[in-house]
Amino acid sequence: MTAVLSLRDYTLDYLTGSRPLRVLQDISLDIAPGEVLGLVGESGSGKSTLAWAIMRHLPKNARELSGTIRLGGTDLRSLPPRELTRIRGRRIGMVFQDPSTALNPTLTVGRQVTETLVNNRGLTRRAAWDLALELLGHVELRDPEALMRRYPHQISGGEKQRILIATAFGCRPELIVFDEPTTALDVITGARILDLFARLRAETGVAALYISHDLALVSRVADRVAVMKKGRLVEEAPAASIFARPAHEETRKLVAAVPRPENRLVHDRPGDRVLLAAEAVSVRYARPRLFRPPPPPATHAVGFDIKAGEILGIVGESGSGKSSIARALTGLADFSGGIRFDGRPIGSARDMDGAYRRAVQIVFQHPDGSLNPRQTVGEILSRPLKLFGTGQANLSAEIGRLLEQVRLPAAYATRWPHQLSGGEKQRVAIARAFAAKPSLVICDEITAPLDVSVQASIIELLLSLRAETGAAYLFITHDINLIRQIAHRIAVMRRGELVDLLPIDAVDADHVHPYTRDLMAASPTPVG
Amino acid sequence: MTDLLRRLMRTPQGAIGLILLAVLAAVCLFGPWLAPHDPEKMDFLGRFRPLGAQNWFGADQFGRDVLSRLLVGARSTLPMALAATLLGTVAGAVVGTASAYLGGRWDEAIMRTIDAVMAVPGLLLALLLVSTLGNGAGNAMIAIAVTFAPGMARVTRAVALTVRGQDYVKSATVRGESASWIIFREMLPNVMAPVVIEATIRVSFAVMLFATLSFLGLGAQPPASEWGLMVAEARQYVHQAPWILIAPSLAIAMTAIAFNLLGDGLRDAMNPRDER
Amino acid sequence: MSASWLLRRLALILYTTFIVSVLVFGITQALPADAAVTLLGENATAEALNAIRERLGLGDPIWWQYLRWVGHAATGDFGLSMRTGQPVGPEMLTALGRSLLLAVAAILVMLVIAVPLGMLAAVRQGKLADMATGLISYLGVSFPEFVTATLLAMLLADTLQWLPATGYVSPLEDFGGALRHLALPVLTASLILVAHVARMVRSETLDVLHSDYIRAARLKGLPERTVLVRHALRNALLPVVTIVALDVGYLLGGIIVIEEIFAIPGIGRQLMVAVTARDLPSIQAGALIMSATYAVANTLADVAYAVLDKRIRYD
Repeated sequence: MTAVLSLRDYTLDYLTGSRPLRVLQDISLDIAPGEVLGLVGESGSGKSTLAWAIMRHLPKNARELSGTIRLGGTDLRSLPPRELTRIRGRRIGMVFQDPSTALNPTLTVGRQVTETLVNNRGLTRRAAWDLALELLGHVELRDPEALMRRYPHQISGGEKQRILIATAFGCRPELIVFDEPTTALDVITGARILDLFARLRAETGVAALYISHDLALVSRVADRVAVMKKGRLVEEAPAASIFARPAHEETRKLVAAVPRPENRLVHDRPGDRVLLAAEAVSVRYARPRLFRPPPPPATHAVGFDIKAGEILGIVGESGSGKSSIARALTGLADFSGGIRFDGRPIGSARDMDGAYRRAVQIVFQHPDGSLNPRQTVGEILSRPLKLFGTGQANLSAEIGRLLEQVRLPAAYATRWPHQLSGGEKQRVAIARAFAAKPSLVICDEITAPLDVSVQASIIELLLSLRAETGAAYLFITHDINLIRQIAHRIAVMRRGELVDLLPIDAVDADHVHPYTRDLMAASPTPVG
Repeated sequence: MTDLLRRLMRTPQGAIGLILLAVLAAVCLFGPWLAPHDPEKMDFLGRFRPLGAQNWFGADQFGRDVLSRLLVGARSTLPMALAATLLGTVAGAVVGTASAYLGGRWDEAIMRTIDAVMAVPGLLLALLLVSTLGNGAGNAMIAIAVTFAPGMARVTRAVALTVRGQDYVKSATVRGESASWIIFREMLPNVMAPVVIEATIRVSFAVMLFATLSFLGLGAQPPASEWGLMVAEARQYVHQAPWILIAPSLAIAMTAIAFNLLGDGLRDAMNPRDER
Repeated sequence: MSASWLLRRLALILYTTFIVSVLVFGITQALPADAAVTLLGENATAEALNAIRERLGLGDPIWWQYLRWVGHAATGDFGLSMRTGQPVGPEMLTALGRSLLLAVAAILVMLVIAVPLGMLAAVRQGKLADMATGLISYLGVSFPEFVTATLLAMLLADTLQWLPATGYVSPLEDFGGALRHLALPVLTASLILVAHVARMVRSETLDVLHSDYIRAARLKGLPERTVLVRHALRNALLPVVTIVALDVGYLLGGIIVIEEIFAIPGIGRQLMVAVTARDLPSIQAGALIMSATYAVANTLADVAYAVLDKRIRYD
């Protein structure tokens, strides 16, 4: 049987400043009819460029050096733009990472779905409208009639992605390229999109290229998995065996970096002394204003405690209020209720004195934004050192020690933030937090923007720092599998409320909140 | 600084803008020495003498050398425009930063008032101010500065608000830094760049506005060789000698172009992420 | 668009009007001119001067004078011109009509040229059309109105004799003549606007063209024409409303100069005459009416944007 998609020895450069940059090197792969090929790699591995090459939508500075891309019997590389327009959508569909930016904000959903169907299936508007209703109903969207008349900003991200998937399948292509279709969505929404994908795929038998950074996820949805590293395909294996018997070093690295709840990284028990206790903390951002209704609070009366040296995980979807807790504890957001720190009551940000500021540190999610672009790494680290009592004489030695502590060369002190990689920036941010010798470090989604292997090394670093200093962590994340590896207890938040606060071994128990159960179910542990 | 200059020269706009500005600066500094003739010297035999070896850019209605008047006149246009922009930018930056820092109701009140002041068209406001303060170059400069201040306040506030929301500023707040450290060391260096770019582009507006006020008879007064004034005086002699109109017109436009180009060049060069 | 949004807009307009009136009144009160002397001349007797001060209420506290002025202005009564002795209000409104004719014509001409030009430059980014537009924009924004006006008049009126250099003809009396007389002023006023707006339209269009939904539309297999017309250009047009509204302020300032040069008896020229003659009531009326026009234009743009843009919820 001939392959739906077939690449042979495909090599591509990007022309940058001084010399060409090799992005794809001798890529050969086939996708059989009805097959799902998963494509895994870290950022910069070239997996997205490969998708653009297949869609024939490359940036202007791309230079294709050799190789062929064939869709069935058609050589895509030799097609003129007009012919390509007839291939896109009709023979190859695509589903994007972020559904909120893939729809035109000023046209109704119905208009955008029907124009695609009219264009790609040659239907009349009337017929396309009816088909759209049917398609939307088929992807379990309630009240398609009303949905079609809405604008993209009026519907949720999950609904948008369902609509985009329904449209892509509705054009009956031979192949659909999925580019991280669940990454921008919440865990539970993403899990349901995956269920939908599996069902539609079984019904239609369409072939698919499924691109993701998440090996565990890909091994569940794909028949075969291909692993990319620095522009090369390093391994191709059946999904069922890739976890059990990774052949290439890169694959082994990816497999090892996948967080597995059963593989606990923390074995000690925290002490009994309560370090910090939050009592009925409510955060409300905007004050009521003239002519405007007051916004609902970001969190309602949340209470919990953290013991000395404990790792407490806070999980929940975006908008659940977990970051608001971090902002309240650091005095960045006004809150009502109270905090007790080492037995001392703290009623508002004004009560947070030098001792509290020193003891409670925070590391932010985006390493790009958390380092001042106009200060060197040395300057960034020297400030908390000076503020918390290191003299001028010891300063450079202390900076060197801090950098060493976060496994960065001492020479990095003279570098500027834009000269560092994402993982390195995050290490500097961690060093800055530990410069104060804190007893509690709040980690607000600090691994979310990083690749899995970098993520794993950051976690390892945090755990060794904890072993050295005895600091407690408040670890805010949406990655359930990761937090189950390291937390002593997990707090589950939903719509500003704390729905569960469980010891780690009780998260699978029967008595947990139904939402907690959904959340755990949406993050299945890797197979194999 | 040298680094910035190097990067500026690498952008086409920046390079052309810098070269034009270097010429203008030289003219401002050495104009009177560069001028081939005395700009005030009248020569009734040479009235409306066309472009040639004796007067490169021709002579005007009193036989004065146009090129010499332009070279000397740069001093009465450019420094005024720069001073006006600087004054307006500083005033606006202070108000804008204060507004962003105070936040809440104060911010709301200050910004609404600034919006309201900006409902008066710029030239009209400058006109009203000059007619109150009295005609003259110095008053025109003050009027332009006042006219610019609200706009600069808005720009500065917008930038300051963005910077204030950055995690590195939050990080400084969390570790208990003082307000002055946060404003001057964390925020200001990052607010500066966009404000400087905006101010550079505004110098070209200031040049045009100043020339316009002089043209209307409210700015520099005769017999100054301010460029706008030269255009105004030349208008009635268009038939006899178009060059006495065209030369100062082009001088004004060239200055405005230079600052526009430099502003755009700076925008590209000042982005710290551009280096890689 | 909810009632509270409109209410808030209304409150803003009132506040703007208040600030502008205080500003105009405050500045003009500080004018180094004694209204009584302006009216009666330098040689008037002290009694006569006192009598007229009494009649005009010049001895009253300043806030009372302000309130009286605002109260009268609200009913369209701006007092009598010190120069002509005629009521200022009707005179200024007639002049405003002529200026609006010029302004609206300039905006229309500008839109017709600038929007397609900016979009063309964006679609052909980096090509000849783009570079040409960029050059025109640079030159355009760097020539102040008085220079453009003088140079254009020199070329088209004096040298080529195609158009009349100065004067105003009412379109109700002689439409063709009005067009010929308006041509130069409109050309001048629209030139700097074209340069500015074309640049803004280009950058807005580029933003849209580089957006994810345009890429998605292309990859859905829509023909390039549909992508450009239905998806890109439509969305790039929205911000033009705001850009144009902001430029109305610039245009109104420019009109002062243009009317002065082309001898059009519009509100700008009236204002210049008033400033020269230190005619307080006329200055106040002219400045207030011009600012109000700008504020109204901005509010209309806000409402238009709110109606056109489906993304923003006005609550």
